[in-house]
Parts: sequence; C-alpha cells; structure tokens
Amino acid sequence: MPESAKNIPSTKIGSAVPVQEGLFNYPLRDGERPALKGNRCSHCGKNFFPKRAVCPECFISGHMEEIELERQGVVYASTVVRVSSPAGIKAPYAYGYVDLPANQLRVFALFTGADPGSFVPGRKVEVVLEPIGADTEGNAVIGYKFRPVSG
Amino acid sequence: MTKMRDVYIIGAGMTQFGKHLERSLRDLGREACLLAFRDAGIAPKEVEAGYCGNALAPAIQGETGVGQNVFWEVGISGIPIVNVENACASGSTALREGWMAVAGGFYNVVMITGVEKAVMPKGTMLNVGAGELATKLGEVFPGYFATIAQKHMERFGTTREQMAQVSVKNHIHGALNPYAQFQKKFTLEEVLKSPMIADPLTLFSCCPNSDGAAALILCSKEKARKLNGRAIRIAASVLATGTYENQRDITNWEVEIRAAQQAYKMASLGPEDLDVVEVHDAFTICEILHYEGLGLCPLGEGGRLIEERATELGGSIPVNPSGGLLSKGHPVGASGVAQVVEIVWHLRGQAGERQVEGAKVGLADMMGGNKEGDTRACTVHILVKE
Repeated sequence: MPESAKNIPSTKIGSAVPVQEGLFNYPLRDGERPALKGNRCSHCGKNFFPKRAVCPECFISGHMEEIELERQGVVYASTVVRVSSPAGIKAPYAYGYVDLPANQLRVFALFTGADPGSFVPGRKVEVVLEPIGADTEGNAVIGYKFRPVSG
Repeated sequence: MTKMRDVYIIGAGMTQFGKHLERSLRDLGREACLLAFRDAGIAPKEVEAGYCGNALAPAIQGETGVGQNVFWEVGISGIPIVNVENACASGSTALREGWMAVAGGFYNVVMITGVEKAVMPKGTMLNVGAGELATKLGEVFPGYFATIAQKHMERFGTTREQMAQVSVKNHIHGALNPYAQFQKKFTLEEVLKSPMIADPLTLFSCCPNSDGAAALILCSKEKARKLNGRAIRIAASVLATGTYENQRDITNWEVEIRAAQQAYKMASLGPEDLDVVEVHDAFTICEILHYEGLGLCPLGEGGRLIEERATELGGSIPVNPSGGLLSKGHPVGASGVAQVVEIVWHLRGQAGERQVEGAKVGLADMMGGNKEGDTRACTVHILVKE
C-alpha cells in the first residue's frame, strides 16, 4: 500500500465495527473463540474490564498487562427492557451483570439466545459476539453478549 | 475539621413543576429566585455569591452558563457565580457549595438556584452517559434500577406490590401539593398494570421528565438574627461519591449509607430524630433503598416499611410529602433544591394540606448519575428548626 493511502479510512458500506476498541478481538481469526479482553495490574493482581490505563490501587505505570477473561460466567442480576434504547437497541432486550468468578470480575452484559425473561440469577452463560445495531454510516456495530451455556 | 459557622436558610421559593413548553430556563429561574427574595425580605444587592445547579441544558437546549443567565435576570452580577453539574444531585451539590462558602466564612449571604427544562418528546429517556460502555451496549436508567429491584426481590422477598405502593403513596401526597406536576392518584392495580418499562418497573413506577426551578437564600447566624425570625438551620451538608467497587452488593448504596452516617454525626442527630424526609424516588425501588440507606429501617426491610404505611402522611416517618419525583416531577437540576424548599416549608408550618404537624427536623437525600453500576453523587442535608 502506498504510504499516502494508509490513513484513509475505509468507506465501504455495510462493514462491521466493534462497539468499543479493546474489548475483544474482532474479526476473529480462524479457529479463535470469542473472549473478552481485560487487563491486570501485575503489582497488586487486581483485574479490570474494560481495561484501565492505570491501576487505581497502585497508581504506578508499566504494570498493566492484557488478560483474556473466562468465557463462561454466572448471571448476578438481570432485567428485560421493554422500550428501545437511545443507543438503538430494539425492545424487548435483556441485560444485567455476569459474574466471572475466576477473574473476580462482574461485567455488564446484554443477553441473547433464549427467552429474555429466563436470565435469572445463577444461570450459567457464555460470551458471544453479535451485532447490537448500526452506526450512522450503516456499519453493523458488534458487541458482546452472553447466551445460555449449551448442553 | 476546623470550626465552621452555623448556616441558615432565610429564603425559599419554587415554580410549579411540570410542562412549561413556552418558558425559558432563565424565565423559570427568575420566578424561583424572585419568590426566594420575597420570602427572605432581602435585596439582590445583598447576595455575595451565587450557585446554580443544572444538568442538561448543554445537551437539550445547547445552553451553557445557565447560572449567569438566571442570576442576571434578578439583578445579580459582578459577584462569583458557579455553575454546578452533578446529574440529579446538581441542585443539592450547588446548595452544598453555598453552604461551605458561608460556613467557611467567605460570605454572609449566598443564593442557590436549580433549574431545568427536561420535558422531551413522549417516551424519550435520559441518556445514562454517552461515554460509558454500558450505555453503548443499551443500558437505560429504568433498566439499571430494575436490576437493583430484581436483586432486592431475590434477596429480601420485596414484592411488586410493595414497590408499586411507593408510587401510590407519592401520588396521594402529590395530589395535595399545588407545586406538583401530577395532581392525580393511582390505585395499586393501575401502577402494576401500566406498561412495563424494565421488569419489574412499570410506567407509573418511573418519574417523569419535567421543567421547573427552585431557589434558596443562605446566610450566616448574625445576618439571620436581623431578619424575619423564620430562619432554618442547616445542621448537616454532605456530598459523597460512589466507590464503583466492581463486585459490590447492589441491594444497597454504600455511598448513601456513608453519606447519611456523616450527616447524622455532623448534626448530632439520628434517624430516630427525623420528622419529615424527602428522597430521590426517580423509580419506586429507589425509595425503598433510601429507607434502608438512611437507617429508617434495617437493610432489607424497606418493602415492609412502605407496606406498614409508616412513610405516608400521618405515619411514623412521612417520606416525600411533596409527592417526590414520581408525582411532583423531576426537573433534574432543580430537584435537589426543591427537596430542601419542601423541608423548609414543613419546618415553618407552611406546607398547606400536606403539612407534617410539628415537624422540627427534616432530611433531604439526593442521588445523581450512575457509573460502573454505582452512584456518582449522593448528597444528604439535615435541616433543623430552632
């Protein structure tokens, strides 16, 4: 690619963009399973999602390292929203919090793949990457959601 | 903490809350400020600093510097003016800024106002914060409070009926308040059967978007002595921010418990001393959590407290006699100031049909904004009639 073309953004209609950079790898490589990416302070061991630039406990630079969060978790709390969100998510949709015990983290999450009212506390769920809407340029916006663990 | 001066409220006023489609922010603010001046019996030239709470004007009206605009309308210029944004706690945070300035000896007379025009097309919900990941993923205010409600139901057995009773009660109160947006009572059935917004919160479990303004004038003890003799002392003023602890128990707000304890300590009073309380009932479940956070009942027993009718007018501890946000309305930046206006009226015996008889101690509790599943700002003010 000529040097002058490198900074020109793609204007192709209908491509897909992640809802926020750094949350997960997208697009996935062949054989790669979807997973959330957080980070960890190697000084105190505390985990963060989304990633933080500086550990608020230690406040020293150069100690944050990326970690891949466990793919399965447990619903902590949930609700079903019956009105469409200003962010463009169509109602009804379910969301809540998922606990990831091995990472000692709780993450905000949309739910998918089952009756919206079925994501009761304690239900085992796993992460997937799915479109959650479209941006103003017509790109699909890719977010993460949790669905029931199969089998 | 070094010794602080006592601070008194000598003027209070507010507009009716509701839809004021034809009126501007400065028009609403002017009405509230002029009422406060008339109440205090002082002139604008005596005010040494002004503090204005507003949350949404930059987003909705594209207007900034609302404080300078409103105070200019009532002849206040040349002095320090501070604009305060702290979400729903913008007005109450402005009050705390003014309180600190008088308590600290910087000024003898300051004015506080809170003003908002938040009425939007039917069904519009406030944005939780465009920069937050949760917002981008679809979080909405009713949904946040619905997850808390679900957890409270799971953990403590709180029922849909108990939550709906908060709305029934506050609309009964609001029907007695000429300043309230809604002067209409609802049955339990009507609240439960209104359209579902975010399970378990129905439409009548959510406060409306509103327009309105409120104002207060504060002064030092020396100045209060020379005035009308109806001064109400601010016995405590506290502002706290959430810790955003990732795996916290969401069935209570640690920030509120902490702020309330600080306020009780500052006032040398406890929850048992309160006669009247105003809380941030943006959604029915909020009021139940506030009962618990303020220590009106033990953790987990807020549902029982509303069911026992303890918090109705005539009950052991009336909460939201104004009708609360649910019935009085919620012009975001004005609400925290209006709560304190309501408490002042009760302590002076000026609250009309909704008067809590003989009230001597009142508390106003406001929470603003959410971040990381926690609360950005919580204010607690305790007022005492001497």
